[in-house]
Amino acid sequence: MIMNHFIRPIGLFRLLRLEWRNLRADRSPVVLAILLALAVGYGVWNGARWMDFQRHAIEEALTEESQRLAKIRDEIRWIDSGQKTPLSAFADPRLPQSFGRNMGLRYAAMPPFALGLLSVGQSDLLPYYFRVSTNPMHSFTANSNEIENPVHLLSGRFDLSFAIVFLLPLFIIGISYNVLSAEREGGTLLLALAQAISVRRLALAKFAVRVAFVLTVTTVVALTVAALAADPGWLGHAGSVSRLASWVVVTAAYALFWFSLAFVVNAVGRHSASNAVALVGFWLVFVVVTPPVLNLAIQTVYPVPSRVELIQAIRSAGEDATRKGSSLLARYLEDHPELAPGGGSSAATADFGTLLVALNDATEKSVQPVLARFEDQLSAQRRMAARLRYLSPAIVVQDALNDLAGSSTERHQMFLAQTAEYHRRWREFFIPRILRGEKLSATDVDRFPAFQFREEGVDAVLARCGVAFAGLAISVAAAAAAGMWAMRRHQVAG
Amino acid sequence: MVWTICKKELREMVRDGRLRAAGLIVLVLLSAALLLGWRNYRNIDAQHKSAQQATRQQWLGQGRKNPHSAAHYGVYAFKPKTPLSLVDPGTDPFTGVAVWLEAHKQNEFQYKPAQDATSVQRFGELTGAAVLQILVPLLLVLLGFNAWSGERELGTLRQLGSLGVSRMQLLVGKALAMAGAVSLLLLPALLAGLAALAASAEPGAMRASLPRGAAMAVSYGLYFAAFGALCLAVSAWASSSRLALVVLLGFWMLNVLIAPRTASDIARFFRPAPSAFAFGHQMEAALAQGIDGHNPADERISKLRDELLKKYNVDSIEHLPVNFAGVRLQEGENYGNKVYDAAYGRLWQTFGEQDGMRERLSLLAPGLAIRHLSMAFAGTDFPQHAHFAKHAEEYRRSIQLLMNNDLITHASNTGAYYADHSLWNQLPEFAYTAPGLTWVLERQWPSVAVLAVWFALTAAAAVVAARQLNVA
Repeated sequence: MIMNHFIRPIGLFRLLRLEWRNLRADRSPVVLAILLALAVGYGVWNGARWMDFQRHAIEEALTEESQRLAKIRDEIRWIDSGQKTPLSAFADPRLPQSFGRNMGLRYAAMPPFALGLLSVGQSDLLPYYFRVSTNPMHSFTANSNEIENPVHLLSGRFDLSFAIVFLLPLFIIGISYNVLSAEREGGTLLLALAQAISVRRLALAKFAVRVAFVLTVTTVVALTVAALAADPGWLGHAGSVSRLASWVVVTAAYALFWFSLAFVVNAVGRHSASNAVALVGFWLVFVVVTPPVLNLAIQTVYPVPSRVELIQAIRSAGEDATRKGSSLLARYLEDHPELAPGGGSSAATADFGTLLVALNDATEKSVQPVLARFEDQLSAQRRMAARLRYLSPAIVVQDALNDLAGSSTERHQMFLAQTAEYHRRWREFFIPRILRGEKLSATDVDRFPAFQFREEGVDAVLARCGVAFAGLAISVAAAAAAGMWAMRRHQVAG
Repeated sequence: MVWTICKKELREMVRDGRLRAAGLIVLVLLSAALLLGWRNYRNIDAQHKSAQQATRQQWLGQGRKNPHSAAHYGVYAFKPKTPLSLVDPGTDPFTGVAVWLEAHKQNEFQYKPAQDATSVQRFGELTGAAVLQILVPLLLVLLGFNAWSGERELGTLRQLGSLGVSRMQLLVGKALAMAGAVSLLLLPALLAGLAALAASAEPGAMRASLPRGAAMAVSYGLYFAAFGALCLAVSAWASSSRLALVVLLGFWMLNVLIAPRTASDIARFFRPAPSAFAFGHQMEAALAQGIDGHNPADERISKLRDELLKKYNVDSIEHLPVNFAGVRLQEGENYGNKVYDAAYGRLWQTFGEQDGMRERLSLLAPGLAIRHLSMAFAGTDFPQHAHFAKHAEEYRRSIQLLMNNDLITHASNTGAYYADHSLWNQLPEFAYTAPGLTWVLERQWPSVAVLAVWFALTAAAAVVAARQLNVA
């Protein structure tokens, strides 16, 4: 190292340029970059297809709704003007119990967020629209699943999050497992160090070039394909731009995590093959093994009661309510009013409506504690997952990406809460009218407003992602510091 | 000689600290997965059984009612948990647990267990199947990647050649050692699994599970053998141990990580299923064209009424010797059945075609074939879910027929009519027997064939590569 005093150190910019030329000359980084670009591009395209599918389904549902409501409006006008008589009281759309329970149902839909194509997340498993009625909420939330081959749900989709969480680390490992070891094994490390640069400086330059390379490929491809596949105004939505920016930041932080691991492993200074095995080992632990183990732990600590119990609870609650509230007439009406002699009179259906309101109310009250137990356990599970996700950066990043793309459990929880609110207002509108025995007029059809999903404020989303980012940043800093420390003791010759 | 080679290789494997650690991790994860799988199976099975009895009691105890009202009340069918789901729960988390069997409507199954979990679940569950399909092949890679290349790099291959040890002897010895090492790990788990099954399952379930379990074990054996042979072939063919490791890890990742998702995407792309909205809307439209059982002025009803009046030669419904409401309801059911059979038939055919597509793709990635077979033998794949769903639907239809026939023959056209427990008792209890091994094999033999082909090809490649191996 005496040479240091005689030779002018190479400037950082020149060092980076030399390293970039080095990288380009090698074939494998190019191959890796092409594979990465393909995985990222395909992931975005796949996410966009799923987003289109959801949008299309919601569009169809809303079209069906407006056609149905228009038909009902006409029908009420005809009936009111005497041009038509309803076939039976059950087919009379003017009765609030018929309208609110089955004829005039409206959809509560959560359209995918503008960035939905960036992560499929939980959106393929959880329902994204409901048909709201005066019946208890569990009656329509349990039956709103999208159709999907269950094997496909089990596999998951090849979306951008998969490319990032599972595959990006492998590309990073592939491009950086032998950054120093290859030079040492080839004998070129000594040569390079003869140019009066420290190992650390050389290693940092090499890593900097690789970080820039991988991040450029990932973000440029992802954003380009997204811009092509998304609809033109995708960045015009409130919060889109800052959420997209956070997406870049979180992805970069995750990439840096893996680069810093590679840095440490390189710094420890074994030969290339053991570096590769060690890094793949880390990948296995963080990405493949930890999440399922954590999942199992969560389910063991906070087991969710069986839905079978819920079914039974709802049923026996309904039984009890019927038993208590039923005179012979009521029970008979519950059966089938139109089967009664002279059945289908509107007085009879009005009674039926009233009775049903009472039954639903009683059933719901007694089922409430059972439903609450589910909610309690599920939120305990979510809390435990939120605390322990730091065991694996893969979980942290997957959650953050889902959150930013709007396919997270959190957004779905909001949707459920907003649906519950809508359902409550729906009942407040119809139930008094049922009890008063009122009839709806044609203008009443439009009096009840359509459901509008309100997005969470972007601040809340960014705050959650900020916490995730902080967690990643701490581990990156720790790994980088360890790497720098180990680098000082690095053996130059193999 | 083969035996000596095998013993030596095995000893080296056991002495290697890293391999020991890897084996230990696999063993711990497998035991944990099986233990919790077993607990899960026992809990859920007991819950479903008691719920099935409860729903029966509710049905019997519903008191005096109009039969159609009883049909609306209906019963629930709870999907039984198969004993082998303790190894591979398959699609169970993504298919509902129960279906309500009521009048007029073939319902969807309710409550997918995966919806009652955090997003971490989507990384995959720790199950016996996951350990066997993901981690054991990885262990095989670690055991085998340097089987030949390592000897060559150490220069021991030339010595062995000079001692007159044939390549085939070496190959068989090494293969046996790999098999031995893996069996050392898996046999205890297999025995423990059997013991757990014997301890918890009823004798009938146990008898039905044994052939399925044996078929499952054979498939996994075939898969591991194919994977092990591939490792030996690549190790002999590759110029260095490092290259062999990279190639094998790359194949492993394609096989367990990329193939399942990509194959699902491809199947979905070429054989798209309708959206739930389109599916439901089409069914509703088809039903609205027919008698819906609640709408007395429908055209079909008047036609039916006219036909009945003509048949019995009377002038009004009141004079009919049969109950018109019952006839009308049963006609509604018959029409509905046609609609449901067509709609679900198409949907399940689409799912079947998707499965078939993935099955063909398993020629490229044998991991898809074992995944498919493992679920099939465990009884947790989609065809067996559909088998149960069909059975439940038949039961639903039998309830409708029983109730409506009772209406038709006993109810009058003028007054109210109630039936009691003597009618409810006529409904046999819901009983379901899962299909046997032959049923499964009839459908899944292509996947068995794929695994056999893979084994044959990789074994041949291992032999050829070993023969052509250069000493230096």
